[in-house]
Amino acid sequence: MIIATYVKHVPDAEARLDAAGGRIEVDDHAYALDGMDEYGVEAAVRLKEAGLADEVVALAIGPARAEAALRTALALGADRAVLLETDDELDPLAQAAPLAEATRACGAELLFVGGKQADWDSAALGPAVAEALGWPLCDWTTELRLEAGEVAAVHDVDDGSEDWRAPLPVVVTTQQGLNEPRYPTLPNIMKAKRKPLDRRPLAVPARVVTLDAALPSRARRGVRLEGDAATVASELARRLRDEAKVL
Amino acid sequence: MDFALPDDLVALQHAVRDFARREIAPVAAGLDREPRFPRATLRKMGEMGLLGILTPEAYGGLGLGYLAYAVLLEEIAAADAAHATIASVTNGMPQSLILAHGSSAQRDRWLPRLAAGEAIGAFCLTEPHAGSDAAALRTRARRVEGGYRLDGSKAWITSGGEADVYLVLAKTDPEAGARGISAFVLERETPGLSFGAPERKLGQHAAITTSVRLDDAFVPDDQRLGEEGQGFAMAMSALDGGRVGIAAQALGIARAAFAAAARHADEREAFGRPIREFQGIGFKLADMATRIEAARLLTQRAAWLLDRGRRATKEVSMAKLAASEAAVFVCDAAVQVFGGYGYSADYPVERYLRDARVTTLYEGTSEIQRVVISRQIHRENAR
Repeated sequence: MIIATYVKHVPDAEARLDAAGGRIEVDDHAYALDGMDEYGVEAAVRLKEAGLADEVVALAIGPARAEAALRTALALGADRAVLLETDDELDPLAQAAPLAEATRACGAELLFVGGKQADWDSAALGPAVAEALGWPLCDWTTELRLEAGEVAAVHDVDDGSEDWRAPLPVVVTTQQGLNEPRYPTLPNIMKAKRKPLDRRPLAVPARVVTLDAALPSRARRGVRLEGDAATVASELARRLRDEAKVL
Repeated sequence: MDFALPDDLVALQHAVRDFARREIAPVAAGLDREPRFPRATLRKMGEMGLLGILTPEAYGGLGLGYLAYAVLLEEIAAADAAHATIASVTNGMPQSLILAHGSSAQRDRWLPRLAAGEAIGAFCLTEPHAGSDAAALRTRARRVEGGYRLDGSKAWITSGGEADVYLVLAKTDPEAGARGISAFVLERETPGLSFGAPERKLGQHAAITTSVRLDDAFVPDDQRLGEEGQGFAMAMSALDGGRVGIAAQALGIARAAFAAAARHADEREAFGRPIREFQGIGFKLADMATRIEAARLLTQRAAWLLDRGRRATKEVSMAKLAASEAAVFVCDAAVQVFGGYGYSADYPVERYLRDARVTTLYEGTSEIQRVVISRQIHRENAR
């Protein structure tokens, strides 16, 4: 059984962002494998180590630098990697079809996707690719077992958690608590350089176009509102609506 | 001339930086307040490969060079100086000497355990009255049937009592000065080997440091490293690598202190503005950054030379001298930038200063580095 795991190369927590000319700029060296995707890679590798899968394939969509995320996935235990290479910033809906195709092409029956992407804070990719594949989706998964060709899982729903079960093939999205990802040890990072990594050019139109980007200003007003609760609440609501324009 | 680190090394650096931030940095302050040998993190560092960086892959190490060693040790030190000291000692002397001078059986016996971090190594050269003047050591190794009996005491031994494997320098021939010194490898359980209480130091408290006593300790022939009388030369030849490690450690501490100071200068306001806007603070930060960059370039160049098999005694000493003195300067300046908060244990900079202060003292004092450098200069000019 082959497992595919999607990984994204995202600005890391310490990255400094710049908004120059309407684009977000991040130093190329300030990117890392999305933490959410680490849970997916770890889950896939553990299934392989338990003898329940034969191969783990890491898939990424992005520019050339995204290879680093794939190398990290390889260092964590994936067997081979595929980079669908594009310099365009593709929204999750635009990524769904090529990701579905790549998943099918590698013969996978189980696809892991991070519950949310750290850069755009979007949870759309998992559902979108499940839709494109026509596979059932278990999202916000906290427990996962593979039993006789079926995925048995526990996942979060709005009012608690739910048992979930479906036969393969299945898409699973991850979250914190699914597992404790291992560190890529230095020997494994060095071995990962020799694992196969395929680069395929990707040309699909983005469905979302960024018109402008700016960083929120950090100036603090420091205004103190005086009076009783009702007065303060009403004044606060007025300022939020008329001055800060967030309501 | 390409000043950029090779991409492969950058990948390792990022992995270690991430590991250090998540596993080592969070325990640093607690270990400083309530010191104990950090076995748990050392075990994880061993699994990462960080305790056998230079040892060949055939023995379970990473088989990397000194540039990688310097880069990775700096990352550990930026998270916690004590972890870097323990790692530097176990990586450096015991493993490099056993690798260079051990018999095949000796290498097989000790290197895999040390490289994996299953055993921690210590190095016993210094004695209470013999530090800079190392050749004046008095620990005696008397020839007996099947081996030697060692008697004497060692001082300031990193990981004393905690390490599993001890490389001990002792005099087999007291009349022959430096040429009468031999090297021995002892396991912790050796009868006659005992350890003093942990020294109460200014900083780096988790890097447990003790005296080591040898009372008629028997060491069999197959635990002598190399030939009799070669011990001192062996130790001196391993110094260059050890000094690169300490230079890297000093850089890591300095970097952490500088980052804290720069962040504080951005956030702290006085007279209506962030204090970084005052030249008194800005100039200080500029000086700190410049000295760190200069020391890092010296360190990386020295490591680069060693990796090419070139003699680099002068360059290594310059790197160690520059990095250690820069670290003390930077940490002291960081305390100043923090003002009153710099004096409080609730902020990390006072710990950085206490941790950095020893870097000009061990692995060859600044005075010794200057002796080495001036001698090399003289040698070069004498031609």
